[in-house]
Amino acid sequence: MAKWGMVIDLEKCTGCQACTIACGMENSRLPGEHWQDVIFFNEGQYPSVQMKWFPRPCQHCENPSCVAVCPVRATYKTEEGFVLVDWERCIGCKYCMIACPYGVRFYTEEKPSYGGPDVKQVFKSNDAHSWNPPWKMPDSREDWNHGVGVQPHDVVSKCTFCYHRVSKAPKGTADLDPGNPAQREFTPACVVTCSPGARFFGDLSNPRSRVSKLIADKEGVRLLDQLGNKPQVYYLTGSGGAVPSSHANVKA
Amino acid sequence: MFPISEPKHFAEIIPYLANLWREEGTMRFIGTVLNLGHGRSAAGLWWKLCLATGLASGGYALYMLVTLGHASFNTSSDGVNWGMPIATYVFFALTSSGLSMIASIPMVFGFEQFNPIAKRCIWLAIITLIAGFAVLALELGHPFRMLWAMPTGLQVRSPMFWMGVFYSIDLVLLLIKFYLLWQQDWDSPFSHFIGAASFVAVILASGMLGLVFGSVVMRPMWFGSFTSIYYMLTAALCGAAAIVVTTYMAYHFDRDRMPEPLRSMAGSHELPMVFATLIGIALVMILTRFWTGLWSNLDGFEGFHQLARDPLFHLEVWVGLALPFVMMISPSMQRREGAQLTAAFLVLAAMFYNRYEFIISGQFVPMFKGSWVNSLVPYTPSLTEWSLTVFGFSIALGLYALGEKLFHLSATPSGEPAVEQTAEAAA
Repeated sequence: MAKWGMVIDLEKCTGCQACTIACGMENSRLPGEHWQDVIFFNEGQYPSVQMKWFPRPCQHCENPSCVAVCPVRATYKTEEGFVLVDWERCIGCKYCMIACPYGVRFYTEEKPSYGGPDVKQVFKSNDAHSWNPPWKMPDSREDWNHGVGVQPHDVVSKCTFCYHRVSKAPKGTADLDPGNPAQREFTPACVVTCSPGARFFGDLSNPRSRVSKLIADKEGVRLLDQLGNKPQVYYLTGSGGAVPSSHANVKA
Repeated sequence: MFPISEPKHFAEIIPYLANLWREEGTMRFIGTVLNLGHGRSAAGLWWKLCLATGLASGGYALYMLVTLGHASFNTSSDGVNWGMPIATYVFFALTSSGLSMIASIPMVFGFEQFNPIAKRCIWLAIITLIAGFAVLALELGHPFRMLWAMPTGLQVRSPMFWMGVFYSIDLVLLLIKFYLLWQQDWDSPFSHFIGAASFVAVILASGMLGLVFGSVVMRPMWFGSFTSIYYMLTAALCGAAAIVVTTYMAYHFDRDRMPEPLRSMAGSHELPMVFATLIGIALVMILTRFWTGLWSNLDGFEGFHQLARDPLFHLEVWVGLALPFVMMISPSMQRREGAQLTAAFLVLAAMFYNRYEFIISGQFVPMFKGSWVNSLVPYTPSLTEWSLTVFGFSIALGLYALGEKLFHLSATPSGEPAVEQTAEAAA
């Protein structure tokens, strides 16, 4: 059984946010509901201040705190390593949002996080969906039990590692390489779109996969590892870099 | 006086109401029910006031939830996820737990001088828990789904699951316990068993509510075993303050109108000392938590600095808790009716704000939002959130008035009815 994971090379990431846009288009996200976000933060003080950036999808943790706290098992972890939300079970208590240290979960019913019109009102839904976006995947691919598609009202949503794509990959696949036409349609949208090629996706349980080799050779590290969630997203920091050790940017 | 006061069985109520309706006609019958009887009474006035307030606030909240949904709250995925309705729920749930604990003083631990407040405590524990559940249900996205998803999911690792289990058990035991007291069964082995089981359930329930916050290591202002202990002990304080206020309220804020065992208790040395002890414990816990947070550099503790700049926090600590503490340990003030009432009102207001600031400040530091949001996120409750809080208080106070009319809440094991005394007779 594969254990899917992601490696992000921070030396290659340019902070262009194409991954954020691709994720939003692929998964029909609201403006501001960035399942895949690029966090910008400051370090140091004037005159030696630095602006830094940090791509942050759901970490699909090995030991996810969001799964442990969910009182109804709406959030669960699959054998392949995906952390998903069953929108048919979610009661909208938001405990998972409280317990996620990475801030990757979103509640549907909120005021728009950006100024301007509420797109949920502009593109109103006439059925159980919370809104009816002008761009969306075919209804046949929608899968509420795995948190895929346009969500219903009053539930929590999050990055699925593009479950609807990755779960269709042939068994035994070690890596999903967007450069390989045969694998492209199974690869997460953010990995496909990353123009500097900073993202890698593959089977962490396979020692011959490229992601496993990158983690071993380039000393991949995990975000807030001290909390014990054990993310399945690894970062390559290069010789002088590091992942933020705090909640990124409390103190400039 | 409402003629069905202290009915022996629920079954008596329906035929009585049906007869009354036939005798009085629809309009007069509605008037009598809205007035809780024929004559004017304080309980009837409270009941009407709370019905009006509850209908207005609940109606507005429902209208907003139907038209705008939970987008009418000022909570946000990028900032404060749990807002004022959760704080209101926690306030009511813990007040209910505290009232159960106070009722256990005579019923489980045998301090019989507290018997005159036991039945009122249990009634209040039931209705405050109902008020809390009502507010929580309107805060949740899918409250009815919870009824089947929790038992079928059985997520035993979730503190919220256990909180639900223990508060449900608590409510059932409270209802049984109240029924037994209603039937004047104070001393049977079954009654003692229910009393002890209820005490255990309420300790577990309030502890689990604390664990909901205390288990999340990524929210350092909440994390730790402290939170559960803090919730249990401050619950007792809220219960004590609530019973002082409501007992006086039942006798028109006049101790001379109280029946003898209650009047002696209210004028005794024990009640203020229990109250002072609980305030003192809460003060020590709040200040040590604040002190530790203020002097630590851990990422996420910045909320304590924000609290230090919050005038309402200082009002809570110094006016809402320290001042009542002084009043209740002062030999010259502790037995005075005015001092007891002032202290209880101040403590209740302070503890409501305490629940609010505890929950909101724990979320001040956003999780990995970078410069997309402020370093400390702002939050002000929306009108819908306020209306839910008002709705909760309307339910609690309205049902309290109903209980005062229907039951003899000052009853004791001796069975003597706690007859309200007039000021003249007492004199």
